[in-house]
Amino acid sequence: MSGKASSSQASIGGLGSGSVSHVFIQYPPLRCNIPGSRGFYYDDGNKLLLSPTSNQVFSWKTAPFSPNAAPNIDSITEGPICSIRFSLDEKLIAVQRSNTSIQFFHRETGETFTHRCKSESESILGFFWTDCPSCDIVVVKTSGLDLYAYDHALKSLALVETKKMTVSWYVYTHESRLVLLASGMQCKTFHGFQLSSVGIIRLPKFEMVMAKPEANSKPVLASEDVYIVTVYGRIYCLQVDRVAMVLHSYRFYRDAIIQQGSLPIYSHKVAVNSRAPISAPLPVLFRGFPRSDSFTSRPGTKESESLEASDSNDNEAIIYGDGWTFLVPDLICDIANKRLWKIHLDLEAISASSSEVPSVLEFLQRRKLEANKAKQLCLAITRTMILERRPINMVAKAMDVLVTSYALSLKTGSYFKGIKTERTPSSVPNVSGPGQGEDVNTGRTDGLGKSVQQESASRVNSVSVGRSSNYSSETEDSSSFEPLKISSNDAQFDSGKVDTGARSSATGNPLNASVSEQQESQLTSPAISPDEMYRFVFAPAEEEMIGEPSYLVSIILEFFRSANLEKVKVNPNLYVLTVQLLARSEQYAELGLFVINKIIEPSKEVALQLLESGRQNFQIRKLGSDMLRQVSLHQDYVLLLVQDGYYLEALRYARKHKVTTIRPSLFLEAAMTSNDSQHLAAVLRFFSDFIPGFHSTSDFSTYYHILNEMNSSSVVA
Amino acid sequence: MSSSLLILNHQLTITSSTYDSKFFFQTKPKSSRSPSLVTEDLRSFISKFYTVHSTNSASFMGLSSIGTASDGMQLCIFDLRRGQHEGQELDKILYFFPADLPFSTQLSVIGLSEGLITFTRIFSPEAACEVIEAERHSHVFYEAEPDIWMVMIVEKSKESEAIWRIDALREVLKEIHSLFVMFHGSIRALLEREPSGGLTRAHLYPFIMDYLRDFLIGKKLQLPSFRDCLMERRSVQMLTVGREAAIEVQTLVRILESSAGNLPCFSLILFQDLLVSTTLSPEDTINLFKYAVLRLTPLALSSGAKSWSYLRRGNSSSHVSIGSTLPSTGSVSEQFYGSHDASPAGDNRYHVTRPLQHDKWFKGKDGFLITDIWGGDIGSLNVTTPTVWLHQTEERMYLCAYQYKSLTIILLIPLSSILNGDQGVSILKQQLLENASLKILKVEEKLSKGWGGENAYHVSGYRYLLVDGNRDISRASPPTKVTTLSKESLLALNRLREEVDAEKSRAKWDNPGREKDLEVCIRAKNNAWAVARITGGKELYMVLEKANETLLYASDAVEKFSNRYCSGTFSLD
Repeated sequence: MSGKASSSQASIGGLGSGSVSHVFIQYPPLRCNIPGSRGFYYDDGNKLLLSPTSNQVFSWKTAPFSPNAAPNIDSITEGPICSIRFSLDEKLIAVQRSNTSIQFFHRETGETFTHRCKSESESILGFFWTDCPSCDIVVVKTSGLDLYAYDHALKSLALVETKKMTVSWYVYTHESRLVLLASGMQCKTFHGFQLSSVGIIRLPKFEMVMAKPEANSKPVLASEDVYIVTVYGRIYCLQVDRVAMVLHSYRFYRDAIIQQGSLPIYSHKVAVNSRAPISAPLPVLFRGFPRSDSFTSRPGTKESESLEASDSNDNEAIIYGDGWTFLVPDLICDIANKRLWKIHLDLEAISASSSEVPSVLEFLQRRKLEANKAKQLCLAITRTMILERRPINMVAKAMDVLVTSYALSLKTGSYFKGIKTERTPSSVPNVSGPGQGEDVNTGRTDGLGKSVQQESASRVNSVSVGRSSNYSSETEDSSSFEPLKISSNDAQFDSGKVDTGARSSATGNPLNASVSEQQESQLTSPAISPDEMYRFVFAPAEEEMIGEPSYLVSIILEFFRSANLEKVKVNPNLYVLTVQLLARSEQYAELGLFVINKIIEPSKEVALQLLESGRQNFQIRKLGSDMLRQVSLHQDYVLLLVQDGYYLEALRYARKHKVTTIRPSLFLEAAMTSNDSQHLAAVLRFFSDFIPGFHSTSDFSTYYHILNEMNSSSVVA
Repeated sequence: MSSSLLILNHQLTITSSTYDSKFFFQTKPKSSRSPSLVTEDLRSFISKFYTVHSTNSASFMGLSSIGTASDGMQLCIFDLRRGQHEGQELDKILYFFPADLPFSTQLSVIGLSEGLITFTRIFSPEAACEVIEAERHSHVFYEAEPDIWMVMIVEKSKESEAIWRIDALREVLKEIHSLFVMFHGSIRALLEREPSGGLTRAHLYPFIMDYLRDFLIGKKLQLPSFRDCLMERRSVQMLTVGREAAIEVQTLVRILESSAGNLPCFSLILFQDLLVSTTLSPEDTINLFKYAVLRLTPLALSSGAKSWSYLRRGNSSSHVSIGSTLPSTGSVSEQFYGSHDASPAGDNRYHVTRPLQHDKWFKGKDGFLITDIWGGDIGSLNVTTPTVWLHQTEERMYLCAYQYKSLTIILLIPLSSILNGDQGVSILKQQLLENASLKILKVEEKLSKGWGGENAYHVSGYRYLLVDGNRDISRASPPTKVTTLSKESLLALNRLREEVDAEKSRAKWDNPGREKDLEVCIRAKNNAWAVARITGGKELYMVLEKANETLLYASDAVEKFSNRYCSGTFSLD
């Protein structure tokens, strides 16, 4: 696995990630040059790039991105086009023709109908399709929202609900399912609705902060200055205050909107950048950095560098231009050249650029798109960190990140989903090692069920219960959105710094976007199981770190600590490794405490290792034999007793715990070598009494004979 | 004189009607010597015995009268390799308590012991005499180092309290010696450093006096008696911790030891008077644990604090002479043993540190425990760092003790690894605080949360002692609960333990390296059950006063206890 990681690193490295760029665009782009095109529209609900001509609509699927994607062509009637969006089932095409009418085309039947504003006083600002159960399409008008359901039979829209309010302009992203309606003189008063598959949430009215340049002038907030941003499933809003040159950020909760912090926009360059990447709410930008960093000035500058770097790699020497439009989530549409670029995060470059390993891991653990690569990187980084003997507290933090992420993936089921799809094609059963994998798996399922229970008990609004069963269904429809979840895993993701205040003042119900649509078919989670930690981090590290193993033990201990906090089961092999390491450095006192206090959990593997390591130390051997008894490995325990010459004790124990699998000759031989005829007679008697038909076995006759000889010889002497 | 010789079950009993005393000791069963030789040896023993007494012109009976004068206890240390020529007998004596006894008496005691040792070595070269039971005295022998013997003579007084368990007394001797070695190195090494023996005596005298002061109750030395039979001296008591806390503790241990850089160092962590973690060998753990409990833990500090402040107010001298608390010492012996006051500024020939001196430790502002025992001035906080000698590494170590609330942390760093002495130590302390103080806080909090109080290990209905001989750990009913037992019960258990001790040492010789499983239940006069169960090196002693029905009932109760608290170790297989 490590080889794979490094090779991929090399190939990406050729694309210029040797520099500090963290984001690159991959050549070739999708060319969408259509003669007679009237411009480009991006349908973020379906992730379609649309380019209408006078009587046709060309649509390219952008997810998954392929530079060779062929467009679908649909016919529409001629006319002006204000905006164009496909319905979420992609059966209808809606074209806003003017500020009073929207025209609908049925893609299969070709039927059309037109929806018009009822009243003259209002005009249509825009519209979007929704997966809200009660309605299909939402029309935003200057007088408020109209929620319509599409009636298949009548082929018309039926009004479901109206939300009355004056609207100056609005912003919406399908990713967040959130629509923000601006109103007021300065357009800084906002109403918000989240229309998701679980229903409609009305957010409390709130105001954005605007600085006043002079006493009398009141700047008006423009729609270009407000962006909805979805970061790791949480919804924020960014607002550019052009007067104060400050970027404000807000976080949305169900019942509150909390201002998170402000970022001064220093230079002209950053200002340009802040306009560019944020002008499309570009989660890529923010995903690039751990939460704690996202409100520093780094994102902006890094982004600019990355753009330049990627440009230089481009054979066609396209330079960043004003024609670039950033689309959600990771696309750049170059209107001038009619090309669509996919933005890639250079994970290697990002990981290589930061020495804050825990933060890098935290970031990588959130990657869902290139989960496998992220996982390999995480493993490599962790391994390197240990081999480089980085300070223990830093490694401890890294362990926390990895274990927390794994625990979270267990709760959400994404870890299994990944495993499942990964393994199904090769039709390999879910057992990784003999007996062991099965054991681990059941443990996980137990853990899962438990955590789900806990969640639903502690969080009234939690709807994630249904998810745990989801992971087994192979046909996860990527377009079926997950219910809005009032994230129960929020606590793990919060870096704490920014959020604690907000969380305490709000009632702790953060408003989240669904993230499932980003999940890919392959490995969906970069989470690393304890099993993998052992195989790809600790075991290789142990091989390479010859000599003083104390450091590695400290690291493993930190891993135990993290795992214990998250109630994650540790691979027994790691316990075995710990025993080996401690015994090798002759830290017997510590080893004893590890075992007695159950830091090393009892198992057969551990018990046997203790017996092995106990060759040099009697106390450790004793712990091993005690553990055998403790984990009820009766047969092994009896065998051990016989081997050590405690055959009478062994017999007694075997009788009590009904161990019948050990050959009587073992006991008899042990009794014979002790040269005590009374004992031999007792053992012989024991088997005669308790094993029917023992008298007729060869064992009996052999040892009966020996016993007689012993007795006669002692009499003679 | 009518004496009879009885050899029974490898135990040689000599009964002498003249002195009405009985010696018995064990011989190695597979002794190659023939019975005729034994008689031969006995003859030479008896002649030696008489020689000893005639030369010292002290009667054997005289011992008892001296005994009463000194609380019925005598304690001596002597070296068999010294004073082998007539007129030099005094050279043998390294320590004698009470020191005011005339030398002739001291020599007669030592002469008797020496005679017995020499005699019994004939039969059992590896393990000579262990005990002499005379009519009114018990003589407990312990060979601390090759040819260096410690003998304790206790009086079997008419008062019923003076009933001992010999092994418990021997443990006292062992403890004195191992603590002494921990601080001063072996006695042999001291003797070699200064063959006159003065240096050794100057060290031993104040050390043992300081040690014995802990046994003083009023003006009487209270040695471990049958009332302490639910106690195991040479073992550590551990705090039971949950897995989470244990992981935290071990993380702390790692941080502690890493703050010393790459130097090999050791640590010991105590919570209250209980051990939480150690990285030392069992032997060193026992010694340091004992010292910590005696002098360093919060309880030890607070018990000393009162008298310390009292001394500060009332007495300008910072040390107390032992003479004032123990029976006064004669001027002759004072000369002989050196100045036992061992005042650092005194005109005595030797600079002797007194690590067991009372009320000398206290907590500094930075949380580190400081003392001027090793020199320096406590007022200016410029004190010499204490050092101890580790058995395991055979190396001298700096001892740094840090205390936070109930948590006491002892860190041991090799002397050789710190170049600039006390200055280096204080830098290390600084590092320690920087690296570990947060973790210490966390660990203390975790342990306090899980701490069940003084009676945490009380199991109602049971009075027990649990000894894990493999790891030198013991746990017992809290002492306040043990005092509720009636005297009969305690006596019964004491008797039982003596039997078990004998059985154990017999098994040790019979079958070295093999553990013997054993179970004994006896019923006391008051119908209480005293139970002992030994299996796989672990021992359980128990008194059940309320289980007065049947043996089955008692056995059931033990079974329950074993399953519940000892993970079934003592359950009958």
